[in-house]
Amino acid sequence: MSTTVIDSKKAQQPAAQYSPLKEFWRNYKKKKVALIASVFIFLLIVIAFIGPYIAPYDPYEPNYDAILEGPSAAHFAGTDEYGRDIFSRLLVGTKISLTVSFSAVFLGLIAGTILGLISGYFGGRVDKVIMRCCDVFFSFPDLLLAIAIVAILGPGINNVIIAVMIFSVPSFARLVRGATLSAKENVYVEAAKSMGASHTRIIFKHIFPETISELIIFVTMRVGTAILAASGLSFLGLGASPETPEWGVMLSSGRDYLGTASHVVLMPGIAIFLTVLAFNLIGDGLRDVLDPKIKNS
Amino acid sequence: MHHMKKILFLFACALLLVACSSNNEGSKGTDGSTNAGADKGASSNSSSSDELVIAVNENFISMDPHNTGDTNSNAVQAAMLEGLLGFDNDGKITKVLAEDYSVSEDALEYTFKLRQGVKFHDGEAFNAEAVKVNIERITNDEKLRLYSRGFNLIKSVEILNEYEIKVTLTEPYGPMITRFGVAKMISPKHIKENLEEIPKVPVGTGPYKFVEWVQGDHLTMERFDEYWDGNDRVAKVTFKPVPENGSRVAMLKTGEAHAIYPVPAQNMPELESNSDVKVTTVPSTIARYVSLNTFKEPLNNEKVRQALNYAVNKEAFIKVVNSGLGTQLDSIIPSKTVYYKQQTSFAYDVEKAKALLAEAGYPDGFEIEIWGNTNSDTMKGMQFIQQQLAPIGVKVDIKSMEEGTLSDEIYGAQTPEEAKLMMWYVSWSSYASDVTNATKPLFHSTSFPPNSANTAYYNNPMADKLMDEANSTSDQAKQAELYAQLQEEVYADAPWIFLGVDEIVYGVRSNVSGVEVGPGGAISVQNAKID
Amino acid sequence: MLKFVVRRVIEIIPILIIVSMLTFLFIHLIPGDPARLVAGKDATMEEVENVRHELGLDKPIVVQYVDYMKKLVTGDLGTSLTTSLPVIDMFKSRFMPSIYLTFLSMIWATIIGLLIGVVSAVFKNKWPDYLGMVTAVSGISLPGFWLGLLLIQLFSVQLGWLPTGGIDSFKSYILPSLTLGAGIMSMIARFTRSSLLETMQADFIRTSRAKGLAERTVIFGHALRNSLISVVTIAGLQFGFLLGGSVVVETVFSFPGMGRLLIDSISFRDYPVIQSAILLFAVEFIIVNLIVDILYKVLNPKIQLNS
Repeated sequence: MSTTVIDSKKAQQPAAQYSPLKEFWRNYKKKKVALIASVFIFLLIVIAFIGPYIAPYDPYEPNYDAILEGPSAAHFAGTDEYGRDIFSRLLVGTKISLTVSFSAVFLGLIAGTILGLISGYFGGRVDKVIMRCCDVFFSFPDLLLAIAIVAILGPGINNVIIAVMIFSVPSFARLVRGATLSAKENVYVEAAKSMGASHTRIIFKHIFPETISELIIFVTMRVGTAILAASGLSFLGLGASPETPEWGVMLSSGRDYLGTASHVVLMPGIAIFLTVLAFNLIGDGLRDVLDPKIKNS
Repeated sequence: MHHMKKILFLFACALLLVACSSNNEGSKGTDGSTNAGADKGASSNSSSSDELVIAVNENFISMDPHNTGDTNSNAVQAAMLEGLLGFDNDGKITKVLAEDYSVSEDALEYTFKLRQGVKFHDGEAFNAEAVKVNIERITNDEKLRLYSRGFNLIKSVEILNEYEIKVTLTEPYGPMITRFGVAKMISPKHIKENLEEIPKVPVGTGPYKFVEWVQGDHLTMERFDEYWDGNDRVAKVTFKPVPENGSRVAMLKTGEAHAIYPVPAQNMPELESNSDVKVTTVPSTIARYVSLNTFKEPLNNEKVRQALNYAVNKEAFIKVVNSGLGTQLDSIIPSKTVYYKQQTSFAYDVEKAKALLAEAGYPDGFEIEIWGNTNSDTMKGMQFIQQQLAPIGVKVDIKSMEEGTLSDEIYGAQTPEEAKLMMWYVSWSSYASDVTNATKPLFHSTSFPPNSANTAYYNNPMADKLMDEANSTSDQAKQAELYAQLQEEVYADAPWIFLGVDEIVYGVRSNVSGVEVGPGGAISVQNAKID
Repeated sequence: MLKFVVRRVIEIIPILIIVSMLTFLFIHLIPGDPARLVAGKDATMEEVENVRHELGLDKPIVVQYVDYMKKLVTGDLGTSLTTSLPVIDMFKSRFMPSIYLTFLSMIWATIIGLLIGVVSAVFKNKWPDYLGMVTAVSGISLPGFWLGLLLIQLFSVQLGWLPTGGIDSFKSYILPSLTLGAGIMSMIARFTRSSLLETMQADFIRTSRAKGLAERTVIFGHALRNSLISVVTIAGLQFGFLLGGSVVVETVFSFPGMGRLLIDSISFRDYPVIQSAILLFAVEFIIVNLIVDILYKVLNPKIQLNS
């Protein structure tokens, strides 16, 4: 019914000015919830950069005379078990938490995409081997993997990134493989093949772009999951170094005070919750707009 | 539509299945009586007044008293099994199944006079023969933990009469008396017929007899009515492992548990203001310290080690890390341990610490790693050390490692040269009566890893000599003197950053009496009652 | 159908062999010496070596693997290094609670998830959709242990309605399954919504609409059935994960399940227990996948099972 409206709008615009980005934005700005979430994440990224400069206190400086104080005018989010200002720690920690999750997802994306492309494009035995490996990884409890990785590589934030990355490789591989399989059937891929284009060229020039929209959606959601995974590792004591103001570390070290000074565990918990929520809402919004199968009617 | 129905039907079936099986589970565990744990306030009603629930922080591993290394297994066993000797709540040796005992002058012969009229839970009589069977079980099986802890030195076990037995050693062994307290007696019939069952089913002479052990969930025992020391105690006791601190505290508050141990120090204020709960603290025999590798630069310099000790504010340590509980560690052993002698401690003095560092050639400090496990308490302590050493220019890098990895990193080093360990945030506990175990594994030059736990790589011939001499005598006055010298000698060398002595904290519901926890973490329920 | 099942079951064997080999390699790769951990901090070198010999850990790793597999074939899962109990005994008491918890979590998560998903799709871009999706997304945005601890504070400590943990009664399962199912509920809700929106674009739905069928019949009779296929896939995958036990939830609620057993045995490097537990998880995972494939066929007979 509304298709005619869209058509007429399109007709009004000169064909040369049509851009997919504009089209995307026109649809995306209708998603109120996703839009609010995007603004939130944008602010968060700004904080990640300016956090250390606007933090009212040194996030590492203990003050044993002001331990476990509730929120007040001096300390917006109260103080922790060493008298450190929780608000300042959250501000400074934004960068760390975002860096951990972004880099873990990014690395997982690269590795998973390559595996998925190879698997889907070549098919046959290669496909079977890669997919069986993914199955094995899936049936392995995450935790054992994490412990193994952290145990072999030693503790520290970089190894948290690696552990979280490894969780996401199989899911990326599966996703990209699926998209590749359907893209492979396209006529222009056949055409490129018959013209003698190299495998690498076909994969990256013709097939990879087809998988992008699904990847964007998945990456957005995965960032949220990565933040949660990092905090899960901290819960088990396998996270970043305990003095780091990474949110997961703050959350898990604060949990002993839930009954006595609940702000110590509530504040980082809320920060994590809102951030992950925002990433997921953006992901949902993107799906509605980008996924060709759910076009707005 | 047909398929929808099928799916719904499947769901319904699954739901039913789960509901049924869960119900079975519930009634099996509680003998048909409903578990009233969840009803606030009503939790200690008549049905549960004869069942005591105790939540502890770790899983129990084994019910074999001759092969137990963890405190919690010991604590649970203590209600069902008894040794010739035992420990009171101050950690002193008491007589349990032995009415009396004597040690020969050369510290080689131990003679025990046994209590009469004692019965094992399976009806077997307790006598010299039973003791012999138990001791021989340990001396014949080198796989057992107790074997190499004194029992391998036993030359002979001689039955003097039905209630008198003599044990002879090949060489003197200081902590042997403590070992007779640790080695609990199992029914000889059980040893002969059900050897395989011993790790699962304990059959002893204690006030409670074993009922069931659901791995990872609970262990239940019931009153043994033929116990030699009366019957005035609660009818049933259940131990539950609850590792998460917050959950354990919640159980005490809701009344699901009648007693919990340990109470996390940070929950003290909250529980103290709760009238349904009593919290008790007892000085422990757990020493908390940071061992310093005295073999490697820069910690091989005594002045550096002293500087580190001066730089740490021990009062702040107790306040921040232990939530105000505990005392300073002012010797190499806790004050509850026998032959303890107080030393002049390193008073907090940052300027002095800086001066000592400068004298040692490190005016700008240095960088160093501290290792510890992943417990939240350890991580808290390591952060504190990091904060305390920052002002004197010592930059501490925290490496918290999962227990297995940590142990491999420490004990993987075959020689002091290979060791990568510099500072280790750790604690050590031993029986109050066992000063040997509180010193020799930690300070003797034969105890370097991987041989034992001298992770300071402390090497002092004088100290070695004092420990060896003290071990080979049974003269208590002489031992006291030797250990006094040892404490002075070692403390001054500062092989550790001496931090504090933990406080044992346990909580019980206010209607519960007679549940006590000793300085070593042993939980006694012998006199437990619920009003 | 039967042929398909039989073939899939036979396929399991090589996968299990690979999993067992990988696990064996993996757990020996993790630093940590079980002999030392069993013997204790204060044990002497000699004691540690004694223990190592007793436990058979001084044999070459290949021999250890072959020994393990030989026993496994006869149904013997080995003996725990820490408790000296048969591994099977340790599994017995923990396996069923884990299964119940998984089922319970899956059931409520699926029902509520489907409901939210359908409502959101039907009221697309209206307030029930927003409300439904924010609720659903919240479910996967909470750190599990945080949610669990807050639930205990609220329902056990403050209100006193439910026990804090354990497996004493049906009530004990409620809070852990709420915590465990929250994420799955969200996932199912979102998948239902998007695949429902997807299928509603499909030709056959347009045809049904054009035929003038009531909207309700279109949604429940046709569209939902079709989208159930992808929901089953996602639910199946999650189910497989859950069976591996949830260490975090089990720790918070002191729930005696497989996850906690695994973490305890990992910290003691109790090789036979870790090994057998992971094999068990792999078997469960594969079986669940098989059931998902069969459900596919039930839901959509057009799918060729052997393709």
